[in-house]
Amino acid sequence: MKKAILFFSFVLVSIPLFAQTIDVKTHQLKNGMKVLVHEDHSIPSVALYIFYRIGSRNERPGITGLSHYFEHMMFNGAKKFGPKQFDIQMEAAGGHNNAYTDYDVTVYQDWFTPSALELIFDMEADRIQYLAFDPKIIESERGVVASERRSSVDANNFGLLNEQLWAAAYTSHPYQWPVVGWMVDIENWKMEDLKKHFEMGYSPSNATMVVTGAVKFEEIVRLAQKYIEPIPSHDPPPPVTTQEPEQLGERRVIVKKFAQLPIVMMGYHVPKAADADYYPLQVLNNILFAGESSRMYQRLVDKDQLALFVNGNLPQALDPTLFEIISQPKEGIAPDKVERAIYEELDKVKSSSVTDKELQKAKNALTAAFYRQMKTISGKANTLGSYEVFFGDYRKLFSAADEYAKVTVADVKRVAAKYFTEKNRTVATLIPEKEEAKADSSTATPAKSVGKKASARKK
Amino acid sequence: MPSLQKFMDRILNQLFRLVCLLMAFSGIAQAQQSLKLPDYQKTKLPNGLTLILMRQTEVPLVSFQIGIRAGAINDPMGKEGLASVTAELLRKGTKSHTADQLSAELDFVGGRLNFDTEADLMRGQAEFLKKDVSLGLDLLSEVLLTPTFLPAELNKLLAQRIDGVKQAKDQAAAVIQNYFNAYLYGSHLYARAEEGDEKSLAAIKRPDVVSFYEKNYGPESTTIAVVGDFDPASMLNALKSKFGGWKQKGSSTAVKLAAPVASQGKKLLLVDKPDSTQTYFLIGNVGIARTNADRVGIQVVNTVFGGRFTSILNDALRVNSGLTYGARSSFTQRQVAGPFVISTYTQNKTTVQAIDMALDLLKQLHDKGLSEEQLKSAKAYIKGTFPPNIETNDQLARVLIDLDVYGLNDGEINDYFAKIDALTVADVKRIIQQYYPLDNLVFTLIGKADEIRDQVKKYAPQLAEKKIGQVGF
Repeated sequence: MKKAILFFSFVLVSIPLFAQTIDVKTHQLKNGMKVLVHEDHSIPSVALYIFYRIGSRNERPGITGLSHYFEHMMFNGAKKFGPKQFDIQMEAAGGHNNAYTDYDVTVYQDWFTPSALELIFDMEADRIQYLAFDPKIIESERGVVASERRSSVDANNFGLLNEQLWAAAYTSHPYQWPVVGWMVDIENWKMEDLKKHFEMGYSPSNATMVVTGAVKFEEIVRLAQKYIEPIPSHDPPPPVTTQEPEQLGERRVIVKKFAQLPIVMMGYHVPKAADADYYPLQVLNNILFAGESSRMYQRLVDKDQLALFVNGNLPQALDPTLFEIISQPKEGIAPDKVERAIYEELDKVKSSSVTDKELQKAKNALTAAFYRQMKTISGKANTLGSYEVFFGDYRKLFSAADEYAKVTVADVKRVAAKYFTEKNRTVATLIPEKEEAKADSSTATPAKSVGKKASARKK
Repeated sequence: MPSLQKFMDRILNQLFRLVCLLMAFSGIAQAQQSLKLPDYQKTKLPNGLTLILMRQTEVPLVSFQIGIRAGAINDPMGKEGLASVTAELLRKGTKSHTADQLSAELDFVGGRLNFDTEADLMRGQAEFLKKDVSLGLDLLSEVLLTPTFLPAELNKLLAQRIDGVKQAKDQAAAVIQNYFNAYLYGSHLYARAEEGDEKSLAAIKRPDVVSFYEKNYGPESTTIAVVGDFDPASMLNALKSKFGGWKQKGSSTAVKLAAPVASQGKKLLLVDKPDSTQTYFLIGNVGIARTNADRVGIQVVNTVFGGRFTSILNDALRVNSGLTYGARSSFTQRQVAGPFVISTYTQNKTTVQAIDMALDLLKQLHDKGLSEEQLKSAKAYIKGTFPPNIETNDQLARVLIDLDVYGLNDGEINDYFAKIDALTVADVKRIIQQYYPLDNLVFTLIGKADEIRDQVKKYAPQLAEKKIGQVGF
């Protein structure tokens, strides 16, 4: 026991938060695209990310999922580099790529050996400006996206339930439909929809480029001026003016399907990333859900043994978003038992605050997380770009330390009381149907009942 | 969704084990010209423990990787999952701390400590901020040397693991490799699921865990690699003081596995998952060992066939036809031959079209081999995209563990690019004939049996069928 006491004697030692920054140089192109460069020569490799401020948030009913589909089409040929050439040339030059689409952004990622730098700029410029719309390719890519949806929604109960959660939590704002799109919309997009969407979202002024790795700032500026700057800009997508009205009572969704185990999900409306409450909410998220010492793990997984896991997620978003809680009840445990335990833990934070030690633990964990993001050139590129888009300035990454340091026990209690209320929550539950009970064996395309919220990727 | 993520990670690990290989790269060298593993120091303590230290100062983090020859192949028959359960219990209570106290310590400093079990070995992974390394070493040595395996913690974990198997069965992609391995390997130890199944996990009792630990854990069967921002002399002393007194209790002799025999002819396992809108399938056979002399050449060939976005498989099944979101092939390299698989998924009604296409591409690979151009592109691709695989401290530490565990030398890294460059079209032809099965194939499908059963009978004279809800794989 003595050792145990000693072991715990270092509590409340504060870490100098986020002491490190990294050197970032910026350049604004005449067409409006901003370029961020971080030189890092630790490995002979480059990460080039382009963040377009367009996502499922900019869609409407009938064309849901189009931003994500577009992300796929961006690899299917332009003017100088025809079908397949983007991948063929990049791989032969010692590089590879991917992309992801979310509610708010579409992000293109290239990782390559430094000698491929000019080729990458040439190809990126070609597809931003001269994307081709070949009807045959549009059809085969439609099949790819449908398959992606089947694997991420039909064959993934978490994806399926999450889609239902967001669809119920939002009645007005575009976050109500899944990033991958409803299956019927995937099946029905027209060429005209695609062209309009490209014209709306793919102006250079609507994008930020981030380059990290074994490069020179001057060289990046030179290549950006040569290849990107001549591309004319046009109006950005129209502002998303729809706001989600305040939720005035709990909403519940039930999904019944063949499954081995149930799932419980909850969503509470919370502000966008650029809101001052983002930081105390992130601290609260950490205290409730991060690690085996977290309150929720201790209660639901360890002590009461109600759930296989319990997890919290606070997305970075341009508009007010959902704080999600996801848990999987153990075999034989009724989902409502898990639900009640979660509410009890949330109520405890509201009624009696978190401790100083918990607060410090969260801050320490967020510091370590900062360094983990900075371990790779790819992590640096993604983090810099995300801060530039969601917080309005990449330098907010370096002041996040101060923002977290300012968070008090009272702040945490205040945001818990403000957002984690019954009126503000939506609950989605997946109830397993065993095989004998299967009601419908038809093969009809599952339309509105399925979908995917989380970001969808090229591969 | 941590457990979901874990399954995804596991799938990715399986798929990319070959691609990522066990290489390292010198940060200073030119990418295309030479590779050199950064300097490191390797020490064997009198008690048999192997320590490897490499100093890297880019971020103020220190990574530990631990390799212990206590993998799933050491599981007693009927108690599959024991190695994995034993490993996870290490941090669930020691002589000095309860599980809760250990978690509190670890989380307070933002540290990471976890244990994963593979077929051949148990891997421990820990990472701490530089300023917390001393505490990190305390925790690490404590969990490795003095675990208590409390019955209450064991029971909790077993209940979770059994439900974890059920959860995994809700996702075909998470379990299909388990079904394939069981069907392919038969009586060989690689047939068994590393995490066990509903029945084998339920059979595990505390004395099994204690005896597994005593038999398989000890300094002679352990390698510890440390990479990060530290003073090597002080780190070595600290490790000696923590682990120098560790005594080997059981035998340190590694399990000697028989070389798996490739499956002859064709056979097919259909796993019925009635809610499926797509069929997931693996086609393959026994592949190669980690030490196979042709492993670099095989990686190059597989890059072209099914190891990258423009690969033959992905180009045909995804890009040209839109049948799937992705198709690939992979060789999982182990102590002895791990599985080779072609893997993809497609909607129920195109199941046969996709399988036919995959088989046809395999046949064409045998008939046509690869062109000079394909070979050249694959070489540039592997070399150009390799550096980020050995960018971080934890990646480098993992390389050091694997070199030691699999008895490889620095040439694995330092000669890597030269071996890639040396590969000829003639080598490729031989490698295809030798390592890519053509007539002897094992099929595993998870899908809606009622809709595909009759059509897939044509692939094999030998057919087996299971239901996803049935116990085991």
